[in-house]
Amino acid sequence: MMSRADHLKGVVLSLILALILLFSWQYLTESNSIQSHDISAENREYEILMGHTQATQQPDHNFPSPRQFALEAWQELKAPFHNTSTNDRGIGWQLGASLYRVIIGYGLAVLVAVPLGLLLGQQPILRAALNPFIQILRPISPLAWMPIALYTIKNAEECGIFVIFICSVWPILLNTSFGVSRLRKEWLDVAKTLELGWARRLWLIILPASAPTIVTGMRVGLGIAWLAIIAAEMLVGSSGIGYFVWNQWNNLSISNVILAVLLIGITGMILDTTFAALQRRVSYAE
Amino acid sequence: MASTLGAALSGIATQSHAAVPYPVEKKALKIGFVPISCAAPLIMAQAKGYFQDEGITVELRKTPGWALIRDNLLNGSFDASHLLSPMPLALSAGAGHTPHPVRAVTMQNINGQAITLALKHRERRDPRDWKGMTFAIPFEFSMHNLMLRAYLAHYGLDPDHDVTLRVTAPPEMVANLRAGNIDGFLGPEPFNQRAVINEIGFLHILTAEIWDGHPCCALGMTEEFIAENPNTYAAVQRAMIRAAAFMHKMENRLEAAQILSKPEYLNHSELVIRQGLTGHYADGLGNVKNNLHRAEFSPFPYYSSGVWMMEQMQRWGYIPRSVDSRNIVEQVFLLPDVRRQATALALADLPSPENTNYPDFQVLGVPFTASTYPSTQGTKP
Amino acid sequence: MQNRINQPLPLVTVNQLEKQYTKNNPSVFSDISFSIARGEFVCMIGHSGCGKSTILNILAGLEVATSGQVSINGHAIKGPGLDRGVVFQGHALMPWLTVEQNVAMAIRARHPAMPREDVQKKTEHYLELVNLTGAIHKRPAELSGGMRQRVGIARAFSTTPELLLMDEPFGALDALTRGVIQDELLNICTQTSQTVFMITHDIDEAILLADRLVLMSTGPNAHIAEIVENPLPKNRSRTEIHHQEGYSDLRKHIMDFLVKPNK
Repeated sequence: MMSRADHLKGVVLSLILALILLFSWQYLTESNSIQSHDISAENREYEILMGHTQATQQPDHNFPSPRQFALEAWQELKAPFHNTSTNDRGIGWQLGASLYRVIIGYGLAVLVAVPLGLLLGQQPILRAALNPFIQILRPISPLAWMPIALYTIKNAEECGIFVIFICSVWPILLNTSFGVSRLRKEWLDVAKTLELGWARRLWLIILPASAPTIVTGMRVGLGIAWLAIIAAEMLVGSSGIGYFVWNQWNNLSISNVILAVLLIGITGMILDTTFAALQRRVSYAE
Repeated sequence: MASTLGAALSGIATQSHAAVPYPVEKKALKIGFVPISCAAPLIMAQAKGYFQDEGITVELRKTPGWALIRDNLLNGSFDASHLLSPMPLALSAGAGHTPHPVRAVTMQNINGQAITLALKHRERRDPRDWKGMTFAIPFEFSMHNLMLRAYLAHYGLDPDHDVTLRVTAPPEMVANLRAGNIDGFLGPEPFNQRAVINEIGFLHILTAEIWDGHPCCALGMTEEFIAENPNTYAAVQRAMIRAAAFMHKMENRLEAAQILSKPEYLNHSELVIRQGLTGHYADGLGNVKNNLHRAEFSPFPYYSSGVWMMEQMQRWGYIPRSVDSRNIVEQVFLLPDVRRQATALALADLPSPENTNYPDFQVLGVPFTASTYPSTQGTKP
Repeated sequence: MQNRINQPLPLVTVNQLEKQYTKNNPSVFSDISFSIARGEFVCMIGHSGCGKSTILNILAGLEVATSGQVSINGHAIKGPGLDRGVVFQGHALMPWLTVEQNVAMAIRARHPAMPREDVQKKTEHYLELVNLTGAIHKRPAELSGGMRQRVGIARAFSTTPELLLMDEPFGALDALTRGVIQDELLNICTQTSQTVFMITHDIDEAILLADRLVLMSTGPNAHIAEIVENPLPKNRSRTEIHHQEGYSDLRKHIMDFLVKPNK
């Protein structure tokens, strides 16, 4: 275990790292923007067409400095839920759209994978029969599913949900069946001597006993779902934080891309922390 | 029932004035577009209220790529869509898949593309020196690909072996040009001008200088949708013709640049878009240039341009030689309907169409005469 | 002293029991017949591999015999049931539940309609019997081996089974702890007149606890070598038993049996 003092030292160190990162970012981007333009032209009109006017002193094509980033991020974060049209919505709105898709797709994956995993965990023959299929389908990248999904499902929104489902279902399924298959026989014997019916056996013994592995699978699955939805939205578009990244990339607005990337990371971290807490709750020492 | 009634009315509808409304079968449409300047007429039809005048409500769906646009149009997620003009031909001819009958309802734009090279190639302007270079194109079935290939071949390069052609989304063209992964690209606006303003590339040649008057993007619908919604089709076509007339008028281009720059459309600075639309631009080499032909707009899908596309797609092996080009083009390009409706609309700003469906043109100074182009039907090699 | 020999209806009857795992191998045991009277404490002693645990599992209904009959209260045993409580070799507590919850689960299984407060009272009662009141909210991982086995015993008793089955319950405990729990167990069994069938290979434990000892020969093809009546009075106590008359003889007898090769 870490002492309080060590913990504090860790926090201070990570703050120092953040500052170093910020300063080097500032240093590198500032020196960049001082660069003079090697294509010089006396022609004033040319300068105007190139965007070199007083109003836009900072050339907008360099990697933004932290200050520029903060300014542009503030513009975007000021109205996170603005909804001008289907093609112009705030970043909060987009984040919400992505989370909504994840909740649906991931929720479906849990609803399918946990019961199926419970079944497979108790049926070694069925598990052996399905295992080759699972092992083939599991490593397929979300982007590879996309064209197939588009061709069969024929609806971009459902495709996104399907891709989340198909990517997050495997770790949950495998972990659930693994957890159940490793259930100690004597616990089940206790359940038998207590004449517990299947529902009570499931609820009182099987689920709590395999909960740590199930939740681990769910945590891994959610991480994959969050990765998959960003990729899927960049590909399919229309809405979501992945679409936001693509749209800002289209506009070559690096500041907004950085903002979105940060938000994706933070959201992913929050989701993961939530599951880490859940994992601690259901884990037990033998 | 409704569709039979619509079908009965459609004949009249296409011949009548826009001010007389005919009942459209489908009032709310989803239309896909890729955020490039070629989509200006489609965006104007929406922004200037031309769709609304026809009694239809359009939701424009910004879409990240051409493959996705194609899939969404074919699976019915989109009722109509911005397409690269070779796409409906390739789809209908079944290039690489089972044929899907798709129609070009109108053309959208003419010229407006360019070959952009990285600044380091500023002294290397002769295409004969381009062996080993890598170029980005937006899609295989695009005028960009076909024109770049024709351009390279004209200077004796084999586009399949002497250079590398890489399908790349336009924003990534600019990023890859900066990163040095590609030497240049034949891409749509505003990305050529964007590369100039970002000081990473220069405009080597405009496509207007390769083939002045070439069509680029179209508005497409599936044949099935047109058959089921003839009045809707006609209404969309009329709105698109009016939008083409609006875009054709040079005085409107600044306003159009303003509209296109909005976040929900191209999401680019007005300065960049304006230069591509007006032809008053910085070339990236320190020169201010003026070329009124840089971007043009016309709704007429002339058959001869379609035959050129078919011939090029056959030349590079996308479509078998056995396909009857003229037959496909005359089915896919709905030129007679566009002519009829344009005549009925009698728009002052729209230049009168060519008399022939097969106007001649020149590509790199070489005349192309499709009116005498032999039908390949029954003459399989 | 009660007259066990003429007890008219034994609680448990085991008749001609045989277990064979695979067709071509000899059976683990065969021809096993004995009975357990109501209130009787029977210990089975034998070397490893003689199938003691299998016999206990068959009584528990967790395993099936190849041939022979087992009945409780005159009814053939068809599967596990609440009329038999099992104390497992490795305690078999649910590690995710507290001590209290482990016992309460058994009580709820026995009395599904019992109100929450009564379940709690009953739980506390049985934990008191095994002197675990202080550890009520702990989880098994926080307990010593002896305390865990106490929870197991409390859980088995809490369902008030007609027959208590114990499979080497103290095998993993140190001598000191074992002694204390043996005392507690003896106490509770006397108080409740609990019928017990227990497996052990600790001779002292068997003499202290059992009214009758079933000695098993070595496997495979094990059988009952001898059934020995414990001549010592029922109110045995661990501290005095080895001074009592007959203790040494019995111990020697069993020791001889276990040490000599017997077949």
